[in-house]
Amino acid sequence: MTGREAKLPIFLAWRQIRRGNPWTLVLIIFLIAVAFINLVFVSSLFKGIIKGTDQQIIDTSTGDLVIIPKNDQGTFDNSDALLTKIRSNQYVAAASPHADIPARISLGERSGTWNVVIIDPTVDQQVLNISQRIEDGSYLQADDEQGILLGRQIVGGEGIEMDAFSLRGVKVGDQVRVSALDTATSFTVRGIVATKFLDTDQKAFITRQAAIKANPALAKTVTSIIVRLKEEAENDAAVASLRQASGSVANIYTWQDAAGLMRSVSSSFTSIDVILSFVAVLIAAITIFIVIYLDISGRKREIGILRAIGIKPSIIQWAYVLQTLFYTFTGVIVGSILFFGAIVPYFAVHPFALPIVDASLSFEAADLTIRIESIFVVAVLSGLIPTIHFTRIKLLDAIWGGK
Amino acid sequence: MDSEPILSVKNISKTYRLGEVVVPALRGVSLDVNQGDFLVITGRNGSGKSTLLRQLGLIDIPDSGEIILQGQPVAHLAEARRREIRLLKLGYIFQEYALIPELTALENVMLPALMLVSRTECAKRANGLLKKIGLDRRSHHLPKQLSGGEQQKVAIARALVNNPEIIFADEPTANLDSVAAQSVLEIFRNLNSHDRITIMMITHEEDETAHANRRITLSDGKII
Repeated sequence: MTGREAKLPIFLAWRQIRRGNPWTLVLIIFLIAVAFINLVFVSSLFKGIIKGTDQQIIDTSTGDLVIIPKNDQGTFDNSDALLTKIRSNQYVAAASPHADIPARISLGERSGTWNVVIIDPTVDQQVLNISQRIEDGSYLQADDEQGILLGRQIVGGEGIEMDAFSLRGVKVGDQVRVSALDTATSFTVRGIVATKFLDTDQKAFITRQAAIKANPALAKTVTSIIVRLKEEAENDAAVASLRQASGSVANIYTWQDAAGLMRSVSSSFTSIDVILSFVAVLIAAITIFIVIYLDISGRKREIGILRAIGIKPSIIQWAYVLQTLFYTFTGVIVGSILFFGAIVPYFAVHPFALPIVDASLSFEAADLTIRIESIFVVAVLSGLIPTIHFTRIKLLDAIWGGK
Repeated sequence: MDSEPILSVKNISKTYRLGEVVVPALRGVSLDVNQGDFLVITGRNGSGKSTLLRQLGLIDIPDSGEIILQGQPVAHLAEARRREIRLLKLGYIFQEYALIPELTALENVMLPALMLVSRTECAKRANGLLKKIGLDRRSHHLPKQLSGGEQQKVAIARALVNNPEIIFADEPTANLDSVAAQSVLEIFRNLNSHDRITIMMITHEEDETAHANRRITLSDGKII
């Protein structure tokens, strides 16, 4: 194609876009926009669920890192010294010592065995956000010697997964009896923790002071240290640094290592996302192909006339590909404006309330780029295939009908 | 009159298949057309007039026989070469105008020339042709804003823009009222008499044959 000829597709395409049927133009752009939204929405929802689940694990259970003792007793021999080292580490924002004690909790005739976690409420708020997940009542005060927080799986109630094994019907202000390490103490239920993360919702929480009052031997008991890293810290570097600092007394696990079953759930969602993404790409491809194919099929005679007056097939093909690229570009822009300007902000304010997480939409730039690229590839093929066909069929058939 | 015919048709035949039925549209048509001829083709519906014109205009390919244009066999050339000949040497006017609806009258006329010369030169040629046929004031109108006669004139101007050797016109007045038809025929007559452009035109109207210096009549795919 010569330089002069190269301008002709632009000449034709632009005039056909500008002066063609405006309703057809709007419809094609709208359908491409919808296909684009469909393509990114489902994936963004699944990524939102995965990200939300991961964040929930971090925020309510594991922090960024979990440090546990290497010894057989399962408690740190000198937790104060270790905590000092950890807190002074360059990557660490905060560290909260936990003591997980298996306990029998009872209310009247009903009872069950759950872990009671001994925490320092003030420090723990810097690492986990359980304080913001109180469904009823209030969070623990630092000096609370009588209060207990119960996870909603312990409390039970309608729609609660583990209701059958729960205390069924505990309310804020009720007295529950906690038996652990050969002592039994009564606690007042201060609040009910509802994080939607099953592990956390099956735990009870008391302050260190309350634990000491019940059993002075628990004063220094620490079974794990939950660590929150600084925003800019890299996980691998932090783990390496903390391993060096803690010497041989501790094992350091990332939140992924510590997440247990929830990692399988997240992985399952990732697999489903891949399958649904493939289906969404297929649906978008078929939609775009049909829309553009029908549009160009309606111009078969016009293509025939262009051929009859001597216009090169490559020029005709480029003219329609350029039109298709324009439709696609505009459709993706319109779809992006609707998606990022309306749908994403809406679900940020009103997340999907799923049983395991409140999910908003999440996306990655690289993933979006691939989806947009795939739409453009499909669009170019959709424009090219019928145009190539109509520039190769018999001229008579193109102008006056026939196959 | 030149001694060598500008166009020679040697025994061409063409059949069409309509479902199971094979329809012979042309049966061994031979014909010489000289430079400057104004030749009209007449005949009943289905006699093969349009089929013959489409073979000569290189819109279709005959099953057998040959078409010699300026001494060169062209009937069975590859489509790319046939397209080039249509662009450079032939002008084809369709009965139903066949304008590109999204282009103005001026742009429709310019279109074939945009393959060959600069846009300025195209516009100059197209404006000149539109002025010549009395449509210079309608040059920025889209086809849907023009009457049938005006659209046909635009189609004629488009066929002329690359200075073709031969103009083929397939019933160019069939969809026009008598005034518009006369106006179109007048253009053809002037092109033929003043510019010595060879014209082959199909018509059903007996009075239109008066403009021509030659006439052939087809019946059942043969010249009679």
